[in-house]
Amino acid sequence: MKRVRLQGRLSTGWCVGLIVLPVVTAFLAIGIGRIWISPGEIVSSLRGLIREIETVSAQTNMVLWKIRLPRILLAALCGAGLSAAGCSYQSLFANPLATPDTLGVASGASFGAALGILMGLGLGGIQLTSLLFGITAVALTWLAGAGKAGSGKGMNTIVLSGIMIGSLFSALVSLVKFTADTESELPAITYWLMGSLDSANFKSLSLGAPPILIGIVVLMLLRWRLNLLPLSDDEARASGVNIRALRGVVILCATMMTASCVSMCGQVGWVGLLVPHICRMKFGNNHLSLLPASVSLGAVFMILVDTLARSVSSVEIPVSILTAIIGAPFFILLMRKSGGWSL
Amino acid sequence: MKLTVENGCFGYKKGEELLKNVSLEAESGELVAILGPNGAGKTTMLRCMMGFLKWRSGRSAIDGTDIRQIPARKLWKTVAYVPQAKNASSAFTAGEMVLLGRSGRLNAFAQPKQEDVEKADEVMERLGILKLKEKKCSEISGGELQMVLIARALASQPQIMILDEPESNLDFKNQLIVLETLSGLAAEGMICLFNTHYPAHALQRAGKSFLLCKDGTSFFGPTREIVTEETIRMAFGVNAVIGDVETPGNILRSVLPVSLIGESDASPVSRNGEVSRIAAMTVLVRDYRMAEKVNGLLHEHAGLVIGRMGMPYRRGEETVHIINLALDGSEREIYALSDAVGLLPGVSVKTTF
Repeated sequence: MKRVRLQGRLSTGWCVGLIVLPVVTAFLAIGIGRIWISPGEIVSSLRGLIREIETVSAQTNMVLWKIRLPRILLAALCGAGLSAAGCSYQSLFANPLATPDTLGVASGASFGAALGILMGLGLGGIQLTSLLFGITAVALTWLAGAGKAGSGKGMNTIVLSGIMIGSLFSALVSLVKFTADTESELPAITYWLMGSLDSANFKSLSLGAPPILIGIVVLMLLRWRLNLLPLSDDEARASGVNIRALRGVVILCATMMTASCVSMCGQVGWVGLLVPHICRMKFGNNHLSLLPASVSLGAVFMILVDTLARSVSSVEIPVSILTAIIGAPFFILLMRKSGGWSL
Repeated sequence: MKLTVENGCFGYKKGEELLKNVSLEAESGELVAILGPNGAGKTTMLRCMMGFLKWRSGRSAIDGTDIRQIPARKLWKTVAYVPQAKNASSAFTAGEMVLLGRSGRLNAFAQPKQEDVEKADEVMERLGILKLKEKKCSEISGGELQMVLIARALASQPQIMILDEPESNLDFKNQLIVLETLSGLAAEGMICLFNTHYPAHALQRAGKSFLLCKDGTSFFGPTREIVTEETIRMAFGVNAVIGDVETPGNILRSVLPVSLIGESDASPVSRNGEVSRIAAMTVLVRDYRMAEKVNGLLHEHAGLVIGRMGMPYRRGEETVHIINLALDGSEREIYALSDAVGLLPGVSVKTTF
């Protein structure tokens, strides 16, 4: 009997490609920077690391594995996490404009970080307060929006209250900035809000990576079921699936991932909107292929942008500026070429 | 299997009742129409029936068990819901959409298995929409989208199907395709309930009808008794004429709206259904599988039948079964039998008094 192909499943070629592409990008990016390290040197350093013998200079080893590796890992994680979160929010709210920040998580996390800087906490402390307030913001949104459960308009109410809570925390950030010391704290807060990956180290990764990884793994496992998200309320309930639980899990995962990203590298806009849409144009709206593609290409995009940010000029450019400068024209080009898409 | 609504009451606002004491009953193999004007609460009624909204009092039950006591997973394996096409999401391709109908049968982390994909394809093949599989739902016609939604419901292999205005907004051809599909499903033993604001569709297709008026009152029973010129005037606020239209293949009952109430207040000619009459009925069965169903129905109404003659007739490739009957009974009973037989797909009936 002829086997019927499952629609939307990635072909083997794409499957391999989506795994190999981030690895290759990372390998190339790790050599680029103020000190140029050739691929040959990277390989021999790697060989030395495994056999525990000295093949390249200690300085090269230091730059490669202590400075650039954590930074590239952070970029890959944030890119993957933010675009997975953006992708699932767009489907959850059946709204192409949804971003990981729709429920106010990034504003909350920014406020937490600003508060941390104002109180003079260390990097670890700032990361913690930021994570905490990010989650608090979403919890507040949920409380405000989900009060009248079962009214049928649930999702729109939650988006609206997300916008409200988001602007509330933005105002609080401004308040913190206003009271901050203009010589030291204000520049620190402003710079942090623009987003940067230069604080990356293995210590902050050990706190920030698990929430992102868990979120990605859970969403990936649920990826076929995520297809139920854009359906209308009655349709989704009539599928026999517990749609409220599904929505709850998606919001929880996306919040963990986004709050963790923002707490490590500040507000990196655009990735969560841009990458999923680029993937939708190529792979359609079926999460069976859309989600893996978003995760992989999100990582690639972010590694590329961060590599540019740290190597294009002598002064590091904040990533959120670059994501928009590179992303917007590229996106418009793609949109015009593919003739748009629908959600 | 039996689906019942028992004395259901519902209203959105406090102190205001949209549905008052509604009751209905549907058994396997029955096609039931829920009729009413715009805004009477047909969709609300369906939503209450399926448990999306909570009855203020009363309940809906499957085989005597309150549906609120049936776990969601189990309930939605028995019942399938087809929403109005305009409310449906159109993000996916037709094939993906139909496959979503299988999700109630899959575990949370599972992906559709080979048998799920095959089942979805089988349903699409059956409804004649397999060619749409790779097309996006936003790029197909309204009639095609409606068939995709029906296919999605069928993919979960339900025993009860509830459809919200499946044939409104469609052209004649697509209306017929949808109604023909529903008749076919009911003939196979499924319970089909559909909302409609076309009384003619109820008369031509549904054995039983539920008529909902704007003031919340309702009637339920065999279509012939429920959809009359008088009830249409009450529910829809129009004077209408009900008549038979003879076609080469069949005799169809139809409703023609004539005027708004108030413009002409001619009192309706009420049909006295209890007059005892003698009638001759001729049944042509083109679909062999239906012959047995016709025999069953005639058997149920054996009291009416005073004479009967049946013969198969081969005409080229086609075999037509011809059954001639002489009936004696009240006009109401004879009409009821004639309607029940005529509603089967591939069966034509003509009754003369």
